[in-house]
Amino acid sequence: MTSIRRRLLAWLLIALIAVGAAAAVAIYLRTSEDVNTLFDYQLQQLAYQLRNRNFLHQGGPDSGTDDSGADFITEIWDGSGVLIYYSQPDYELPLPRTLGFSNVKWNNREWRVFTTVYRNHTIQVAHPFSLRHQMTAQMAQRALLPMAVLIPLLGVLIWFAVGRNLRPLERVSAQLRARSPAALEPLSTARLPREVTPLVTALNHLLDRLGATLRKQRQFVADAAHELRTPLAAVQLQIQLVERAASVQERNAALAHLRQGVARSARLVQQLLTLARLEPDAATPAHTPVDLRALATEVVAELTPIAQEKNVDLGISELHDAATLGDAASLQTLLGNLVDNAVRYTPAGGRVDVALRTAGRKVVITVEDTGPGIPPEDRERVFDRFYRRLGNDLPGSGLGLAIAREIVARHGGTITLADGPGGRGLTVVIGLHAIPE
Amino acid sequence: MRLLLVEDDPMVGEAVHQGLRQDGFTVDWVRDGHAAEIALAGGDHAMLLLDLGLPLKSGIDLLRELRQAGNPIPVLVLTARDAIADRVQGLDGGADDYLVKPFDLDELAARIRALARRVAGRAEAVMRHGELTLDPGTRAATLAGEPLALSAREFALLEALLEKPGAILSRARLEEILYGWNEEVESNAVEVHIHNLRKKLGQGFIRNVRGLGYMVVRRP
Repeated sequence: MTSIRRRLLAWLLIALIAVGAAAAVAIYLRTSEDVNTLFDYQLQQLAYQLRNRNFLHQGGPDSGTDDSGADFITEIWDGSGVLIYYSQPDYELPLPRTLGFSNVKWNNREWRVFTTVYRNHTIQVAHPFSLRHQMTAQMAQRALLPMAVLIPLLGVLIWFAVGRNLRPLERVSAQLRARSPAALEPLSTARLPREVTPLVTALNHLLDRLGATLRKQRQFVADAAHELRTPLAAVQLQIQLVERAASVQERNAALAHLRQGVARSARLVQQLLTLARLEPDAATPAHTPVDLRALATEVVAELTPIAQEKNVDLGISELHDAATLGDAASLQTLLGNLVDNAVRYTPAGGRVDVALRTAGRKVVITVEDTGPGIPPEDRERVFDRFYRRLGNDLPGSGLGLAIAREIVARHGGTITLADGPGGRGLTVVIGLHAIPE
Repeated sequence: MRLLLVEDDPMVGEAVHQGLRQDGFTVDWVRDGHAAEIALAGGDHAMLLLDLGLPLKSGIDLLRELRQAGNPIPVLVLTARDAIADRVQGLDGGADDYLVKPFDLDELAARIRALARRVAGRAEAVMRHGELTLDPGTRAATLAGEPLALSAREFALLEALLEKPGAILSRARLEEILYGWNEEVESNAVEVHIHNLRKKLGQGFIRNVRGLGYMVVRRP
């Protein structure tokens, strides 16, 4: 798990150290320059000073005072190139080749040399570079020392500062932790830093949508339970009537009613299940090409016996080759429901026509019946769950059209109700996307 | 006792209708709020069995308007809504009792009888009049401790007369109590029942008030 606090600390410390290192280099270079200037000046002054000494007139090498501990080496040659003075016997630098400042490598050491000529005498003052480096290092170190102490201190400060600034996040998570799964009201965005607000806002949006889904689900369960009561009440009453039946005929009649009651309950449960599977958050089945011609034929064939028993003329009026991308099972449920409804509501002697047409990129399926129809003002409401129209003697679940609409919506299609043929009955028009052949 | 059943579900309505008739009640059944209003305007019913989720006019609205109009008819609500809030709304809206679906036919009949008893101001389930007892629950009658065989209509007629001793019930009123809609009433049906009852109970038990109707004498 990554920690913003740790990462920030690491990055800031790395940055600090990098800046520190750069500063160290810069300070070192700058100091080194200063030290060089200073020492060069010193070398020069020392050499000039020697010009005024009388030993210039003495003959023969003079070892001078014991200066073995000194950092500077002084040597003087006369006009003929004879070394007449040197400050340290152990260090005999070679005769310089250039006047002024030069760098000489001798005896495994780098030397800074200043050479001047005065009255035929060559005066040379030198000292090792190592001295300068040492001094520069010391000075740079002294300048960098406070930084070395400050970096850990800054680390501690950063640690606390970051921790303090992450508190809004902790507050949000504490708020979330304290919640029950049912508490979906939005989190407070007051006193939140600008960087955290989008996260909390996004979370609030999610909570909102979740709440809406949950409410819908609860409403559905409540509605479903409520809707199950009525068929169950019927079944319970029908059972009692069977128990009370005094004769075989009465008993048989009561049993027939009971069977209808049970069938109706079973149908309602079946439709509730279908609808639950079609819930928007349920997993979407893979959309595959569905042969609508075959599907329509199958549905009509399946319902023909029921239609014939009712003396309803069920048939296909038009049948194009058409296919759509979708879920075959739910499309079958869709058409099955609609044709079944049409057959059930159409009185004996009536007619139900199923048509499948292609129109450009669209497939249009129509189911026409000569039943009682649905008045225009009711044509929207009948798609609502559990909405049942008045004077409807057939004990429907009030879910058939809700299911149809859900299935059509899942396929990106349309479903509308219109007058039936000749202004009587009902026409259901479904529009789906065609697959181009 | 003649009841008005308002229930939109065909299966539940059919079963309640049939079951209550078996229990000796006279039941008229309507399917929506408007039909219920029209039926109630006749004033023939002793009690209203009301489903709340009705088309055209909800049961709650119907009940409220009924009470606002001062109609005191006892109302038993039959509904699938079982939330406390719904019950409270129903009872506060003027219902006298509340039965949640699914319910038992026997319980429904018992509640109807209990409600009728309360309305009549009787504490006892069994109706007594001198030597005669009527038990609306079991539909059994005794005279001087001996079981008395009565037909369903005879029992209902006697029950109606014993409801308010001293009150005169016209022949038309008795017909309304005994026969629901769609039931054939023979022209002298009430007289026939009265005649049979007098044979079983004695001539003086049911008095005929000429031009007005029938009554049983109030006992001190």
